Amino acid sequence: MLLSPKGASRSLAAVFTPIKSRGLVDEVCGRIEQAVETGLLTSGQRLPNETELAAALGVSAVTAREALSQLRASGIIRTARGRSGGSFIADNVLPSRERALTQLHELSRLQIRDLALHYQAIAAACAGVAARRSDAADIATLRSFIPAEDDDSLSWRLALSEFLLEVAAIARSARLARELIRLQADLGTLTLLPCADSGYRGRTGVILEDVAAAIEAHQPAAAESGVKALIAATTDWLLTEHAKRY
Amino acid sequence: MSETTSTAGPSAASAKRVPVEKAAGQAAAELDVTISGIEHRLAAWAAEAGSALAAMSGKVTGTAVDKLIRPVVEELVQLPDGYAAGAGFIANAGLLGPERSYIAWWQGPDLEPVDALANFSPNSISRYVKAEWFRIPVETGRAHVTGPYVDFLCTDEYVLTFTHPVFTRPDGLVAGIVGIDITVQRLERGAMPALRRIGARATLANADGRAVVSAASDIDAGDLAAPDEPCRHYPVGRTFTVWSDAAGL
Repeated sequence: MLLSPKGASRSLAAVFTPIKSRGLVDEVCGRIEQAVETGLLTSGQRLPNETELAAALGVSAVTAREALSQLRASGIIRTARGRSGGSFIADNVLPSRERALTQLHELSRLQIRDLALHYQAIAAACAGVAARRSDAADIATLRSFIPAEDDDSLSWRLALSEFLLEVAAIARSARLARELIRLQADLGTLTLLPCADSGYRGRTGVILEDVAAAIEAHQPAAAESGVKALIAATTDWLLTEHAKRY
Repeated sequence: MSETTSTAGPSAASAKRVPVEKAAGQAAAELDVTISGIEHRLAAWAAEAGSALAAMSGKVTGTAVDKLIRPVVEELVQLPDGYAAGAGFIANAGLLGPERSYIAWWQGPDLEPVDALANFSPNSISRYVKAEWFRIPVETGRAHVTGPYVDFLCTDEYVLTFTHPVFTRPDGLVAGIVGIDITVQRLERGAMPALRRIGARATLANADGRAVVSAASDIDAGDLAAPDEPCRHYPVGRTFTVWSDAAGL
């Protein structure tokens, strides 16, 4: 079993295991990591104690305690003792290039390719249905997720995943949307790497515009091939980077 | 039509005497009672919550909000044959802090808390201001129905969210919203018998003309549809319509 140092929640290995086996502790850790990545929780901010955390997330105190200790071990939070003590979101906690590179090199080319195929299948299905069901308000929301070329890599990464989630929302299929969310969690911080490359940002920016236009014009085939091209651009970039190591 | 005679009614003989249109009208009225019932319950809840928050005279805390909202949510989601999959309250900026919102929302019979991690964020209001179910009742001061849409925040299910603004003073700003999530799946079970009595292609649609439940096999929930004229239009709740005959777009 291949698990990343950060634990199973962000590991690509999770793609080969049933959802249930991820466990509640990983689920809680995943939620907190996600809250940090989306800016809901920021560095230096105090986290609730385990009783409050357990109540808020509807898990047992034991689960909350284990999750906090797992987050501490992976450097997401730090703990201070004493009167002003407690758990805080650590500094430099945002996904870093180093961490993403480590994750990339722990994966085989086969795993990356297989994940990309799955991602393409689900995203293309969403895009095809979205092109049938879109209205003007949907398109306005979708376009609001297209980032500007000079946005930093973290916001690009977030915008790309939000864009595809919005395509799933326009498709109005709960199953496809859930599957897409799971695939994005499996991809983890990997997608940060290409977003630092301006060439990649330029290429994908054009594709995002094309996908939005196809969904607006009710052209399912064009929308499907657009999102496939988007994911292919990411996979090609990752595999090229991966090869440099050998 | 075969529907009107074969549907289980008081008796086949009396069903034949009832004109098709009258039977369809009765079925549509049942749907209206269901949807209007949800809307009225929500409006009453908004009024109660508003007075209770006003009585806290500016000292509103998360714990106090939970205590106020949770019993109502419990009643709504545990109602036998009820439609609510989840319900709750979301504070507008200003009620608990300048940039802070507060979410007191639960889902399912076990009252699983929704998005509660956001309550530990000082800028949690940013999470809701763009969402249609929050933004529209806050901006207009009026009730709103969002959806059907896939609810990423709560259930990841296909739902309708009914929301209503909460006021602590009649002329004041919107203090927050109360809302009820209804899954399309539950609504479908409740609405299909009535739709079948109205017509083989009868369709319940939202204000945008999007199908919520349809008796026709080629119109799915979420599809854009239109009345296939000439057909009868029945208003259902504040914003929905049933078309006795519909076509997918």
